[in-house]
Amino acid sequence: MKKLGSVTGVLQTPVLLIALVLLAALVGVGGDVTVARVATLAIVSVVFVTGLSIFSGSSGVMSFGHVAFMAVGAYTTAYLTIPVNLKAALFTNLPGWLSWLVDAHASFLVALLVSGVAAAVLGVVTSPIVARLSGLQSGIATLALLLIVYNVLNSWTDVTRGSSSMIGIPRNTTIWLAFAVAAGSIAAAWAYRRSRSGLQLQASREDYWAAQASGIAVGRHRALSWILSAFVCGLAGSLYAGYLTSFNVNSFFLTATFAFIVMIVLGGYLSLSGAVIGALVVSGLQELLRRLQDGQFTGGSALPAGVADLILAAVLLLTLIKAPLGLMGVRELVLPRRRRRAAPDDDATEAVTPAAEAPTQAARGA
Amino acid sequence: MILEFLISAVGLGALYALLTIGVALLFGVLGLMNFAYGEIILAGAFAMYLFRDQPWLVALLMAIVFAVVVALLSERLAFHPLRNADPVTLMIASFAVSLAIQSLARMTVLPRTRGVAPEDFLAHRVDLLGADVSVLDLLTLALCGTMLVAVAWMMGRTSLGIQLRAAAEDFQMASSLGVRANLVIPSAFVTVGVLAAVGSAVLVARQGAVSADMGLQPMLIGVVGAVLGGMSSLKGAALGGFLLGAATALLESLLPTDLIAFRDAFLFSALIAVLVVRPQGLLSGAKVRVS
Repeated sequence: MKKLGSVTGVLQTPVLLIALVLLAALVGVGGDVTVARVATLAIVSVVFVTGLSIFSGSSGVMSFGHVAFMAVGAYTTAYLTIPVNLKAALFTNLPGWLSWLVDAHASFLVALLVSGVAAAVLGVVTSPIVARLSGLQSGIATLALLLIVYNVLNSWTDVTRGSSSMIGIPRNTTIWLAFAVAAGSIAAAWAYRRSRSGLQLQASREDYWAAQASGIAVGRHRALSWILSAFVCGLAGSLYAGYLTSFNVNSFFLTATFAFIVMIVLGGYLSLSGAVIGALVVSGLQELLRRLQDGQFTGGSALPAGVADLILAAVLLLTLIKAPLGLMGVRELVLPRRRRRAAPDDDATEAVTPAAEAPTQAARGA
Repeated sequence: MILEFLISAVGLGALYALLTIGVALLFGVLGLMNFAYGEIILAGAFAMYLFRDQPWLVALLMAIVFAVVVALLSERLAFHPLRNADPVTLMIASFAVSLAIQSLARMTVLPRTRGVAPEDFLAHRVDLLGADVSVLDLLTLALCGTMLVAVAWMMGRTSLGIQLRAAAEDFQMASSLGVRANLVIPSAFVTVGVLAAVGSAVLVARQGAVSADMGLQPMLIGVVGAVLGGMSSLKGAALGGFLLGAATALLESLLPTDLIAFRDAFLFSALIAVLVVRPQGLLSGAKVRVS
């Protein structure tokens, strides 16, 4: 009985989070076309932010470069799923050593997996960077990674179509597929957090030198979580491409990065629940703001373009000033307790929380 | 031919050094990697557009006013409440400030790119020691050079400069020795505003257009230059910016045409390499000093 309680205690956070995403999916299924679109893209955002959280949440290092992995996933899916005859027309100038791209074709599920793997390969290549850097330097280096990938995608016109849109990707992402991937990502992220590597990484987040001194190979665990999160973000990119059927390189640049940062900061970047809730809340907010900007709340007169971005920026600033750890802080989503006093081993996360909060605050003050 | 190239390379270097100091100064004093720097430049550039029919010097003065006002406002509204936050939080906040100012500009005054006709006198070419040099290149060199000398003088010879350097070295120590944060931080932002305004005047003259997203490129140049030179030393940062500018001019004339498009990728790969191998910057010694 006690054993069972412990298992439900450990599993209740991911189950609750998946239930939240399921709720979003049901809203999408029940609503009209616009609602379905918003819900699907919100769930794709959940996948992405969950991926980002695997790295940032456990290591405490903020990354501005994860959109690069999403871009790699989206482009891989485009190469693998655009019909072969259309591809031959789209890519007429492929360099010889890449000519096999025209004939490459795969079903969407295979393309989804290959996209994740492709992003993970970029993750492996770049993992030495994050293994060695912390704090601001890591922030700048990850941003530089985004700029490099953007520059290459934007300038290598023969292969990536440059600034022209990638078109003709068949629509394969259904809301249920997105939900399934989101559920899998949440489960994977939770499993990583509870794993030996995840716990050691969280220890290094709270006190880097103490963790080093205790024999934790911080760099190795950072690299591992970086690669895992790259894989999940690649999946998000693949879902994104498979849903929108066409995309532009500018979808994977600073605007997208900013939107995802708002999500993870508003929710609370140290907590997986924060990431998921932030993604859902901010996706809803963005849709509201879009409607506001189109004039749906102001009697049909459209507001000047930029209002939505301005309000989003204000929300982020306010969050940073008033609640720098976001809505969730370091807490995870759990059911309200019925018993007055919890059994000691009921929920390890809860037990960690008070202790974990203090050093985090102290580190911020320093 | 060589002289022409030299003047244009040194001019570009001086401009980049100017941009870099704007980033490095705030980083030194506040630990703020300011992504909103580009939008301070945007404010100056907008003034250059607004007063394009006035004499050029008037426009430059107004650019300084606009940029300083935007810099001070961003400090008051966003960075002041975050004074004790860690550098990454500040960096995210500056991201937000950057987006906010950009969308404000897009909403109100700059929904699309505006052309600014080049001043007549800038288009002239003069004969200098047998070389055919454009006035624009000369002006870039003169203006940025003057600003660099002025900043060096201010940092080295005035009380404010000494306080700024002290604050950049160790903020807590400086404030317990009587350096007032409420004086030093706003004056750092004012300095940055002036630097950005002069930079924007040169940029507008070179590009001939003003748009809401024009700040991104100069901001990135500032960040790369500051990281290359060593972020906590102003001299190192200036030198880093200068070398970056000279190297850019060199790359543009040496790189094969089909690789020029990938210039940024090379640049940022170098940035990552420097961060990984020499995080204190290429040019500063092991002991990081600000002076």
